Amino acid sequence: MARIRFTNVNKKYANGFHAVRDLNLDIEDREFIVLLGPSGCGKSTTLNMIAGLEEVSDGDLIFDEQVVNYVPPHKRDVAMVFQSYALYPHKTVYDNIGFGLKMRNASKEEIDERVQDAAKKLEISHLLDRRPSQLSGGQRQRVALGRAMVRDPSVFLMDEPLSNLDAALRISMRAEIKELHRAMETTFVYVTHDQAEALTLADRIVVMNDGVVQQIGTPDDIYERPANTFVASFLGSPPINYFDGVLEAGPDDEMAFVRDGLRLVLPADHAARLKGQEGRAVRLGIRAEDVAEGTAEPGYNALSGTVNSVLPVGSDQYLGMDFGGEELFFRVGKDLRHAFGESITLAVDLNRLHVFDRETGQSLIWNAA
Amino acid sequence: MPITPPVDTIDYRRRQKIGRIVQRLVIVVSAIVLAAYILAPVSWLVSSAFQTETEIVSIPPHWIPEEPTLRNFEAIFSAGNDEPVTYETRSGADPAAGDFIPSTAENLLPSMANSLIVSILVVILNLLVGVPAAYAIAKIRFWGRNASVYFILITRVIPDIALVVPFFLVIRKLGMLDTLGSLVITYLAITVPFTVFILIQYFEGLPDELDKAARVDGCSRLQALIKVFLPLSLPSLVAVVLFTFLTSWNEFLLALMFTQTSASQTLPILLASFTSDFTVSFSFLNAAGVLAVVPPVIVAIVFERYIVSGLTAGAVKG
Ligand SMILES: Nc1ncnc2c1ncn2[C@@H]1O[C@H](COP(=O)(O)OP(=O)(O)O)[C@@H](O)[C@H]1O
Ligand SMILES: [Mg+2]
Repeated sequence: MARIRFTNVNKKYANGFHAVRDLNLDIEDREFIVLLGPSGCGKSTTLNMIAGLEEVSDGDLIFDEQVVNYVPPHKRDVAMVFQSYALYPHKTVYDNIGFGLKMRNASKEEIDERVQDAAKKLEISHLLDRRPSQLSGGQRQRVALGRAMVRDPSVFLMDEPLSNLDAALRISMRAEIKELHRAMETTFVYVTHDQAEALTLADRIVVMNDGVVQQIGTPDDIYERPANTFVASFLGSPPINYFDGVLEAGPDDEMAFVRDGLRLVLPADHAARLKGQEGRAVRLGIRAEDVAEGTAEPGYNALSGTVNSVLPVGSDQYLGMDFGGEELFFRVGKDLRHAFGESITLAVDLNRLHVFDRETGQSLIWNAA
Repeated sequence: MPITPPVDTIDYRRRQKIGRIVQRLVIVVSAIVLAAYILAPVSWLVSSAFQTETEIVSIPPHWIPEEPTLRNFEAIFSAGNDEPVTYETRSGADPAAGDFIPSTAENLLPSMANSLIVSILVVILNLLVGVPAAYAIAKIRFWGRNASVYFILITRVIPDIALVVPFFLVIRKLGMLDTLGSLVITYLAITVPFTVFILIQYFEGLPDELDKAARVDGCSRLQALIKVFLPLSLPSLVAVVLFTFLTSWNEFLLALMFTQTSASQTLPILLASFTSDFTVSFSFLNAAGVLAVVPPVIVAIVFERYIVSGLTAGAVKG
């Protein structure tokens, strides 16, 4: 049981590097929070502050009602899984898993019971006598999970726990971690740079960049209603396409996005949010999958260009399109056949357009959310 | 036209084989020469310890004693029980037989004890000081961390001989001349930087996440050091133990300056004093030399299997 609150937390490293800036975050008890962002954006630093492995330079870190800024890690009830697993090479799997309990003076019987129990859940009972060097990557991963699990901590921290696994295992472990969260009924804070992991696992995602929180929200919020161009670009594959242009008012409160060779009339609720903004320099975002083959149906406006590349990716294909000298990427069904150099018209799903301020990159339609 | 192999083909396989044999031969011969060079003085020391003075000075020397004897060792262990050795009592014996024992012979066993006490204390204190220091420098980022590493290393750039006089003055001011304490303190000053340096290298090779995992698992810093880092750094600890033990056991210069009586004289000093006696008794001197070699050899045998891995651990990561 733990609710974790960051209030105006800053982290400056000894060398003066400002790794986390003005972090305000309220993590509910039993919530699954994912910190998402590119490498070096301060995710691990944030996680280490929760664990007590890095000191908070400024601001308050609060567990339930207690400020824990100066509480050392061994006095916080947290467990952590590391990217490198960090198993103790000189201890057996059994002792690795039981170490945390032993350090907390649990009885031999209790340790044994909990270790066996965790090993059974993780299907590593047959490995208990081995040493970490005798295990495969996936098995080490499970031992690392077991070591954190047995302690039944009130906060469960994971720092890119899956990034050293191969692709197939990574996906099946996602499901196990989700199940683990359900079974343990405790607060999870999970760090990753992998958008798919974040979208699958999280109750809420915290997107960070350069030590600054970009957006906090449910996977749906983050993906469907990105607060700025950074968030919009970081999620989605292939990445979102941008067009620079201006807003133009039309009759009947209509609002349109206009640029060379393109005029998209925005849907009414977008138009309502953008009221009075005509003439503003904006950046329009169209997600790769928000187009369809064919000419405009009602609610769709069209985008024409020539096919630049066709990249099949199994379930569907990535289509590179030359649009007046700009390279755009879309994801389309795989039964569409297009040859290089062919001209093509794609219909845009207007309800899923994103409009950002060109200077600040902030969303002009979703910032209320 | 059928292809026939040219008649004068070189047999490369044969060549390679011969090349390999020659290579091996060169290595073996060089190894033997090197071993002989290193071992000859030691063998002579050991062999002559079991010879009488007459046999030692015979020409050509006997590498293997013709009449092996233990009387040199007996003399060492009984020295001081009989009448004190003076110029008069010594000249009573037959100079040709060389049955002289040095006037300071009775100090031999006490000085050996001194050497052991000093060496063991230096080893223990090295570990007590060096291990936490190295852990802190390797795993904790504190203000002045790099500066302290340089500072520790710079103390070792100064040759010991340049430190003798300052050390002497400090020790005299402290009123510690002719005490074991003076040796322990100065030997620590010499060895601790090396200990810290070797261990920093090793600890830095152990991943940070291991340290973090231990602390999240419930260890304080000290417990993480004791329960996780020490077991993993056994090889380098052994290297440190050997290095500090041997350095203290063999140290001569500082001991010569600070010690005056059997209260603090160490074995190297005493052995050296035998050569400056009225007459030199080689048999006794060599027997004492053998005793001086025994403790380091025992230490080396006990820790032998760790030596190589420990000494290279710092150089190659991990
Ligand atoms: N101990 C440290 N001292 C100085 N800078 C650090 C330290 N640890 C991390 N950093 C820097 O802080 C930034 C954030 O690091 P981190 O939180 O590990 O990023 P990530 O989001 O990849 O986990 C990086 O630029 C990193 O170089
Ligand atoms: Mg990281």
